[in-house]
Formats: sequence, C-alpha cells, structure tokens
Amino acid sequence: MRSYSITYFIAEALKGLWRNGVMSLASIAVLVSCLIVLGAFSSLVANINYNLDEIGAVNQIVAFIDPDTSDEDILALRDSIAAMDNVSAVRYISREEAYQSEKEKYSEYPELFAKLEGDNPYTASLVITFADIDRLVNLEQALGEEESIYKVSKRTDIAATIESFKQTVILIATWFMILLLVVSVFVIINTIKLAVFSRRQEISIMRYIGATSGFIMVPFIIEGVIIGLLSGGAAYGIIRAAYGYAARSVSEQLSFLSVMPFDSIGWYLLGAFLGIGLLCGVVGSLISMRRYLDA
Amino acid sequence: MIEFNRVKKVYPNGTVALEDISFEVGDGEFVFIVGASGAGKSTMAKLLLREEKVTSGHLTVGQMHLDNMPDRVVPYYRRKIGMVFQDFRLFPNKTVYENVAFAMQCIGEPKKNIRRRVPSLLEVVGLEDKLKSFPDELSGGEQQRVALARAIANNPDMIIADEPTGNIDPQKSMEIMNLLVKINSVHKKTVLVVTHEKTLVDYFKKRVITISDGRVVGDHRGGMYG
Ligand SMILES: Nc1ncnc2c1ncn2[C@@H]1O[C@H](COP(=O)(O)OP(=O)(O)O)[C@@H](O)[C@H]1O
Ligand SMILES: [Mg+2]
Repeated sequence: MRSYSITYFIAEALKGLWRNGVMSLASIAVLVSCLIVLGAFSSLVANINYNLDEIGAVNQIVAFIDPDTSDEDILALRDSIAAMDNVSAVRYISREEAYQSEKEKYSEYPELFAKLEGDNPYTASLVITFADIDRLVNLEQALGEEESIYKVSKRTDIAATIESFKQTVILIATWFMILLLVVSVFVIINTIKLAVFSRRQEISIMRYIGATSGFIMVPFIIEGVIIGLLSGGAAYGIIRAAYGYAARSVSEQLSFLSVMPFDSIGWYLLGAFLGIGLLCGVVGSLISMRRYLDA
Repeated sequence: MIEFNRVKKVYPNGTVALEDISFEVGDGEFVFIVGASGAGKSTMAKLLLREEKVTSGHLTVGQMHLDNMPDRVVPYYRRKIGMVFQDFRLFPNKTVYENVAFAMQCIGEPKKNIRRRVPSLLEVVGLEDKLKSFPDELSGGEQQRVALARAIANNPDMIIADEPTGNIDPQKSMEIMNLLVKINSVHKKTVLVVTHEKTLVDYFKKRVITISDGRVVGDHRGGMYG
C-alpha cells in the first residue's frame, strides 16, 4: 500500500513560497488587487440593482390630455387604456387636482400662484402604471395613436439612466477584471517557475529515483492553491472593511440612496474570491509546469 | 537480463554517441564498462534509465522494451534501478537519514517501513553513526556511500554506477568498489559500473566491456582493463 504524506507536500509548498518570498508576495498582491476590483464593482452593481428595484416600484408614465377633450371622452380614454396590454392601473388627475397639488408643492411661494389670477395653466393627465418595462415601447406606441393625448412623459428616465450607467460599470469591470486576471495568472506562473527552477536539481534526482510527475508537481500546485486562498481571504477582508466605510459615507451624504447590508453579498463575495483565487493559483502552477507534465 | 541489440544513439544535435552496441548482461552479473572519455558510456546509462531513447535497435531490460515504453510507466520502471553518479547528487539540505528516507518517501513507501529500513541500509554502507550529518559535513567517500544506500533503498534489481569513484580519494575508491561488489554478491543485484580505475578493474577480475567510439571493442570475463 503506497502512502503519500500531505504534511510533506504542504511543508514543501510553504518552503517554496518562503524561499521566493518577494515573488510570492507579488503574486498575492496582484491577485488581491484583481479580486478587490471584482468585489468593488460587483458591490456597486448589486447596490445599483437594489436601488433600481426601489425606483422601479414607480413603474409609471404620464399621458397629458389635450385641453379640448371633454370629461366624458377622458373617462372613456381612461377605461380603454386600462384595458390595454401591460397596463395594471390608470389614475385620472383633473386640471383642478393638478393645480391644487402644484400649489401645495410650492406653498412657500404663494406669489407664484397669485400671478395666475385664477387661470389654470395645467392640463389633465392620466398616470399609467405598467407591469413590464421591456414592453413599455409597445404601450407608448399605442398611447401615441390616441388623438386626445398630446404628450407622454416617462418617469422612468432616472431608472433608464441608472440602468445604462450600470451597463457601463459592468462593461468596464469585466474588461478590467479580465486584464487583471491575465496579469495575476502571469505573475503566478512566474512565481511557480522560479520555485521549480530553484528546485531543479532536487527534481532531477527525484526523477532518477522514480518519483512520478504527480508527486513532483503536487507541492507546486499547493503553492498555487495557497497563493490563491490567501489572496481570496485578504481581498475579502479588505472589501468587507471598505464596504462598511463606504456604506456609512453614502448613508450620511447621499441619504436618498439605500445601501445593501454587507451580509447579503458577503458570502457570495467570499465564495467567488476563494474560487477565483484557487482557479488562478492552480491554472498558474499547471501552466508553469506544462513541460513537466509530459516528461 | 539487459539486452542491447544493435543500439544506435544519435543526439538531436547530430552527435553519434553510440554507433552499434550489442551485448547482454544476465541477472545478478557484475560488469565493468570502460572506455575513453566521450566513448558513449554515460549515454548507455541514460538509455538504461530511459532518460534518452534509442535512435535505432532495441534495448530490453527484463520484460520491458524500452524503445516503446510509455512515458507514464517510466517512473515505475526507474524504481527497479538504483543510480549512482560521480557527483553523488544528494539533497544538500537533508541529513544522511533524510536523504535515504526521502528516496522511499518519493515512491510512497509507508512511514513505518521507512523508519525500519533506513538504519539497516546505512549499516550496509557503514554510516550508522552519521545519521544526522548533512552532506557537506561528509567526505566524498562518505557521501558516495550515502548515495549507495539510497540507490538500494527501494530494493532495485539493478545498480548503475557512472564513474562512482571519479570524485573520491584513490584510497577510498576501493571501499566504494567493495561495497558495489558486496551489493552484487550479498544483495543479488545486477551491477554495472562505468569506471576509469584500471587498478580496481584489474583487481576484481570481473567481466569488462570496453567501449570505443560508440562500439563494443572488448568483452572479457575475469577481465583486465583495456
Ligand atoms: N545531451 C547530449 N547532446 C549531444 N551530445 C551529447 C549529449 N550527451 C553526450 N553527448 C556526446 O555524446 C558522446 C558520448 O558522450 P558520453 O556518453 O557522455 O561519453 P562518456 O560517458 O563515455 O564519456 C560525446 O561526444 C558527447 O559529447
Ligand atoms: Mg560519462
């Protein structure tokens, strides 16, 4: 029965990391930076989604009614819109209601309304709540065909802006990540190559003795694994601390935004960090030992 | 049984190291291989270890045809060969004990067997009182004895020693040769010794195969050098 000692493999891996300390630290530093970028961007995206969901609760557009339209026609229009596809509610706001609500809004400036001398400049409107933002275009088209509607305004403009901001963030983050991952793997490859190089004589003796490639490579793969896991752990710690700090300043200075509690993304981040770290470490060491695999 | 059958070895740079080598070595034989520097002796050792492959001809060890041995089998095949080099090739930061133990660890020998076997191996080579020394605290002769203990650690069928006394004081060379003869006679291993030591070869009266320019030019039992 053959027996291989895991403590031997780990001890050799740690010796290797220690012997080329500078390179090991460089690998960890680059991989940590990469994971921090990933963490920062994905926290940002997660929070954008979180806030979008709240804004998204106002899935509404407003149809302004031609002033010449009679009340009966407006009510008929309201009912026909309510029957349209993708519409979940329609609320009628008369000219009078619009006037009163604006007057309340600017109650600190009564002179604005005094100048109107009883004229009501507001138009009646229908506030339409829709169900599915992806089919909003169809709804807008249908509303455009109504003659008594002279303008449709979207309250979702903010949401759309945030949505496109989010897409940009994701795009930048993805490319940045890919770049950093490539750099990380490259640095790890060189670290492990150096470790292999500094042990090349031992390796050649081991080959004469009859050690398998697997036995020879395991310590180097574990080196990669250790680099990966240490980086993942360090990046998690840093992101966790930075998130708390950022959350406090956002809630102080941009109080209209809400910040997700860290715990609701923490486990995903930890898993992703350790997984990506592990993957980079193992891929890096395997690539650096490619020529040993078939010798 | 080792069989070289019309073996030719050309290195990738075009050097013809072995022109046409044929001979057989039976199990348990002791053979000196002699010849001028550059004759191709080390190349023969490399072929036997499957570190290099024959260019043409056939090389058979036991039941194994080295010409078409898959790479993944090579480590297991090498466990049946104990290799000794001119420059000892010990692990510099392992003690005498660890050097021998590591050879067994490398092939997955259980710890219990290692602890039991290493002291007796070091006794065979007379180094039982140097267990904790590091290689650079030993003389050349002592280092080579550690290498011998390591070579037999995994109980191989065959020992190949490539100029094992090349870096050792002449007085101590006899000790090493005596050990190799003992490993052959007591431990029943086939032993191939590449050497330049005329006096020793003449003294032991073993089989001597002489190589010159990649060819066998002499093969004498109970032979003399040259
Ligand atoms: N790896 C190699 N590549 C090219 N030529 C080699 C290599 N190894 C040995 N040689 C050449 O092959 C010939 C035989 O070498 P070698 O077997 O080492 O001889 P010996 O051990 O008898 O001194 C020499 O000419 C040597 O230069
Ligand atoms: Mg030689």
